[in-house]
Amino acid sequence: MASVEVRDVKKRFGAAAIIDGVSIDITDGEFVVLVGPSGCGKSTLLRMIAGLESISGGEIRIAERVVNDVPPKQRDIAMVFQNYALYPHMTVRANMGFSLDLQRAPKAKIEERVDRAAQILGLSHLLDRFPRQLSGGQRQRVAMGRAIVRDPQLFLFDEPLSNLDAKLRVTMRAEIKELHQKLGTTMIYVTHDQIEAMTMADKIVVMREGVVEQIGAPLDLYDTPANQFVAGFIGSPAMNFLEGTITPAGFALGQGIVLPLQTRAAKTGPAVYGVRPEHLRLDPKGVPVEVVVVEPTGAETHVVARIAGQDINCVLRERLAIAPGDRLTVAPDAGIEHLFDAVTGARLN
Amino acid sequence: MAFFSMLGARDPGATPLPRLFARGGLALVIGAYTIYTLGPFLWLATMSVRTTGEISLDHYAWPSPFHWEQFRIAWVDSNFATYFWNSTLVVVGAVAVVTLVGAAAAHALARYRFKGNRLIYAVLFSSIIFPPQITLISLYQILVDYNLYNSLLGLTLVYISLQLPLTVYLLEGFFARIPQDLFDAAKMDGYGDIEIFRRIVLPIGMPAIATTLILNFIQLWNEFLFAVVLITDPDKRTLPIGIRAFMGDHFQDIGMIAAGVMISVVPVILAYIFFSEKLIRGMTAGAVK
Repeated sequence: MASVEVRDVKKRFGAAAIIDGVSIDITDGEFVVLVGPSGCGKSTLLRMIAGLESISGGEIRIAERVVNDVPPKQRDIAMVFQNYALYPHMTVRANMGFSLDLQRAPKAKIEERVDRAAQILGLSHLLDRFPRQLSGGQRQRVAMGRAIVRDPQLFLFDEPLSNLDAKLRVTMRAEIKELHQKLGTTMIYVTHDQIEAMTMADKIVVMREGVVEQIGAPLDLYDTPANQFVAGFIGSPAMNFLEGTITPAGFALGQGIVLPLQTRAAKTGPAVYGVRPEHLRLDPKGVPVEVVVVEPTGAETHVVARIAGQDINCVLRERLAIAPGDRLTVAPDAGIEHLFDAVTGARLN
Repeated sequence: MAFFSMLGARDPGATPLPRLFARGGLALVIGAYTIYTLGPFLWLATMSVRTTGEISLDHYAWPSPFHWEQFRIAWVDSNFATYFWNSTLVVVGAVAVVTLVGAAAAHALARYRFKGNRLIYAVLFSSIIFPPQITLISLYQILVDYNLYNSLLGLTLVYISLQLPLTVYLLEGFFARIPQDLFDAAKMDGYGDIEIFRRIVLPIGMPAIATTLILNFIQLWNEFLFAVVLITDPDKRTLPIGIRAFMGDHFQDIGMIAAGVMISVVPVILAYIFFSEKLIRGMTAGAVK
């Protein structure tokens, strides 16, 4: 196991800054997820930790050792790639044992490690097959097995579930989490899928355009996002944002509609009111909305509604016999509204 | 695929009779094409065991008797053993160097970002466009200047220079499609650059390497122009020049020419049989997902 410290790390390609002064502290045995939209620099940062990309500025420490100029093979880390990166000309057994073979480890030790990893991942019956004879999920398990066999002090995952179908992704998500619980090794996991981040991480790092927007536990990010970007990125369906003005009477949306505010805002004036779809409920005393689209999922009813000329999503527990054009009255749950600066997007409450 | 479906050969919904016609039609086309390509070779094979006199009487007759001694005459009395050895030495040497250097160069061009990468690629590509004959005079002069004229080493070097650009070009295209993740994984596993080339690129690129290997082998084994210009000593002749010895100004020993060609064609067939599976995989790589 190892701690990882990323201190003011920068990555430039010519004049373009891909990573711009990122700092993250990862403690021993922590499962950290780097999440953000495509092009935010999360994979580049992971590759810099792996040693596959050079560092333009700052410092990376693994187990308190500065590794800026240490080649990948000397960092004692293992990485699982999006495309599995299995050697197609080698069997599963050879793929899993090859790094140890290269280190000239005794055969008995290699066999013991491969068998143990295969047992953990349920691959024992597939050891003599070639990667082309495996399904996507099995290949991904072999890729993880290859990493486990090395018994590294740090695991890196670069969008490992992106190529799998939705159902298999859910299964593999649980398997990776279980693997982390079994091994207790520090893991850094990159994904653009916030559900993966929320369900797997001890700590989430939300990135945008090469900078860290917020670091925190999944539920902290969900409950108190630092800004409008994080608020919109974390949570599914995404948070609703309504433009209006903070006044002493509440949040004025226009057309005479004022939402009551139960938290104090740092200032009054133009702002954005955020509320999660699942935090809206039917309430006769709430504000009137016009139904635009109804999407029953069985467990819930998703409703797209219009309020003061702005669309919002509502996730309601009730099964409703409603149609587009109908009118409902909805209210947010008490005390969980989010207020953001209309210009900077910074949190105001 | 369109051809098969046109014939209805793979159409599971087709009725038995049309399917029978479709299969018959397909067999007819394949049979006709086989006769078209194999016919001349079989004719040559029959001529190789007939004397020139017999061939003159009836071009297409079946051999009777079989003059197997023609192969002995060619091999022993007409120096074909020497020509065969010379060809083997030159072609195997050139193909080995071209394959190894070509694969390494292709890997470097496909994988490493360095200044001038695309310029080198463009220069190599331009040398493929021009016909190789235009280099004949300059190569001749260079070989004379370096005392390599009329030597098997000189001819080997020329063959390497002729085949290297196309080899690099073909392999670069294949190697560039090997996913970068595989190289990153290899680095994480502890491979160095040489190890990555030897243990990852070469095995994965084997279908493409086998393709270039066999194409180069066939091309050089049959090469005549450069060999006839750059080799004058009878003891240093390669097989294609050796066969020419049976052609006089007034008389051509057709039977012996056929026997000589049959001898020269054996290694090509063996090479093809040995590498054919990989050759087909290399040629169709990327065509089927």
